[in-house]
Amino acid sequence: MKRFTLVSLSIMLMLLASLTGADAKLRVVATIPDLADMARNIGGDLLEVKSLATGVEDIHAVPMKPSFVILLNRADVLLLVGLEVEHAFLPALLDAARNPKILPSAPGYIDCSIYVTPLEVPHSIDRTLGDQHPRGNPHINLDPVAGKAMARAMADGLVRNDPEHEATFKKNLAAYLAMLDTAIARWQREAMPLRGVKFISYHPDLIYFAQRFGMEPAGTIEIRPGVDPTPSHIVALEERMQREGVKLVVRERHYPAGLAETVAQRTGAKLIELPVMVGGVPEAKDYVSFIDYNVRTMLKAVQGG
Amino acid sequence: MRSTIQALVYGTVCLFSAHAFAQITPTAEQLQRELGIMKEQLRQMQEKIRQQEEAIEKLSTPPPPAPPPVPAPPAAGDREQLKQEVREEVLRDIQPQLAAANKTFPSQFNPAIGLIIDTAFSHRDHGGENFDFRAAELGISASIDPFARGYAIFSGSPDGGFSVEEAAIVTTSLPYNLTVKGGRFFADFGRLSHFHDHELPFVNRPVVLDRFIGGESRADGVEASVLLPIEHYVTLTAGMYNKMGAENDRVSDVVPRGIGAFTYLGRAATFFSLSDAHSIDVGVSYAYTPKVEIEQNAERHLGGIDITYRFVPLGQAGYRGLVWGTEVLFNSEKRPIGGFPTDPTLPPPTDFRHRSAWGLYSYLEARLSRRFYPGFLFDFAQDIDRAVGDTKAYSPYLTVWLSEFQRLRLQYTYLDAPGNHENELFLQWTAVLGSHVHGFRDR
Repeated sequence: MKRFTLVSLSIMLMLLASLTGADAKLRVVATIPDLADMARNIGGDLLEVKSLATGVEDIHAVPMKPSFVILLNRADVLLLVGLEVEHAFLPALLDAARNPKILPSAPGYIDCSIYVTPLEVPHSIDRTLGDQHPRGNPHINLDPVAGKAMARAMADGLVRNDPEHEATFKKNLAAYLAMLDTAIARWQREAMPLRGVKFISYHPDLIYFAQRFGMEPAGTIEIRPGVDPTPSHIVALEERMQREGVKLVVRERHYPAGLAETVAQRTGAKLIELPVMVGGVPEAKDYVSFIDYNVRTMLKAVQGG
Repeated sequence: MRSTIQALVYGTVCLFSAHAFAQITPTAEQLQRELGIMKEQLRQMQEKIRQQEEAIEKLSTPPPPAPPPVPAPPAAGDREQLKQEVREEVLRDIQPQLAAANKTFPSQFNPAIGLIIDTAFSHRDHGGENFDFRAAELGISASIDPFARGYAIFSGSPDGGFSVEEAAIVTTSLPYNLTVKGGRFFADFGRLSHFHDHELPFVNRPVVLDRFIGGESRADGVEASVLLPIEHYVTLTAGMYNKMGAENDRVSDVVPRGIGAFTYLGRAATFFSLSDAHSIDVGVSYAYTPKVEIEQNAERHLGGIDITYRFVPLGQAGYRGLVWGTEVLFNSEKRPIGGFPTDPTLPPPTDFRHRSAWGLYSYLEARLSRRFYPGFLFDFAQDIDRAVGDTKAYSPYLTVWLSEFQRLRLQYTYLDAPGNHENELFLQWTAVLGSHVHGFRDR
């Protein structure tokens, strides 16, 4: 009996210890790998970070899996890009996850777009204008300066959820921002040849990137955001490209290749493929290498490499 | 002489006095010069005193703080950061006011509203052609308070009727991953039985669901479900309803009943991820009615297994993929021999016998592009009364998504039913206005 009691106590203590250990880290679920990478930089060992998307998906339509429900159910904190970019999958997953800690009104719901000034905020909400985002173009993660603002919003959110480690979060944030500053200065130097370069893309994913590096978006293959093109739209787009001397077609990697290739061929433009998230290509292992990849790929296309 | 001496003395005195006066009485210029000198001496003294006072002051008080250094003009990167920080600060300051301003509009609390229009043109060899106005469904949804949300779907039907398809309260913050739903809703039986007609992947509801469930699994009652706190996704659902099935007219929704005449449901659902792109959902459902009044208070059992295989290549999910969905249902109940009389004036049947029947549907749908989703549906169902043979149907179809909010569907069906072998053709047109939410259960 005594032996049984001792064994039982030991098991209970071990369980308690394991529970304590498990609780020591803030369980963070990020919608996209960009946010997961930033969180690892800011939170370090204090966080256990998982991402829903792997980076190859369409950020507007990440396929919903029941395994995501389990991750969200156990999360202390949810990191999202915001500006409703995750509207097609996140509300349904949150509903299924039954976790009040990460619902939109809870402190664990960290919207990383709150310090970013959005571009393309619609003047009116109307479905004739496509699948609109009422708060503006949500593809902010492609601009590293917006990335800094996202990191700051994330750090503020983490402090709100774990005030004990405020100093660590702030110190790590400062180091991360300094690293980004160095990289941004380098990208801006390197990307000088991109200034004034006109391009078309499949979807308006590259608006923030273009603004940062002085490029000029000249249209999209989609007739409106989220609406596939009609033949007449493609003809008009090609004419515009010829007229305005647009020599670059960007296909975001999650969109079909055929049409982008056809448009590029017909107009004599160069076709390149870009990821829209960390993990979208093997080279984009983290946020810095992701932006790096996009800048270099653009440069290579423009400089004829 | 005396007067001469006096005069001389006086004169001498006067002379000396005049000289003396000439010696000690300065002129106006002298006086002015001396005054100027004195003034200068006074100014010098005052200056000296002031300097001494300053020296004393300096010695007697601690040294003042060094003047702030003049900031160097910031570098380009710093300027950008400074601007960004100021912008963030402003945003942080104004956001509560903006949010508060928004909340002053009473309409901000209105629920999200969406309307679905579902219409079709149909041809049946034995039924002719028709424009079928299938439904106009008005859906509203909103949070109720921190503890629950609510939603409702009202449907206008082809005959001009208007019905409440669903109107339910769903808890959002119960502990232990528990959710409770109450009101009128689609019971969690199987997979496609809780899809609204317009949400089905094909035009018509499979025969087996129409026959065994009674169309959509609409139920008035209460349902509780739990997500098990384990690493694998498993949900368990239990429900208690007046009845199940929107077109199930064997039981009334408005006549009170004993506890044994309710329908009780149990369901378990899980998911297996075979890889990033391949997955299988599996569900097992069971509905039990202890007493069905019109069936001599006999019990009814309805069981089902649903399997859904999905191939969704993550990087091409918008334009490539495959779904195979199959559901098998098994029904067991007491039925009158020869079935219920169709003429209501006839006396109710008295001779009952225990019957079992089963049925299934299976469909395969491919995603070939962002617009075109071809598929094939196979239907099979036994007659519950076993008075006639089995029903089968074969339906190739093509769905064309004009956008996320508008869809055309062309379907051909060869119906092989007892006494009815016919070709059917449907062209369905469905559109969504307003709020549109992608549900997890209906994915």
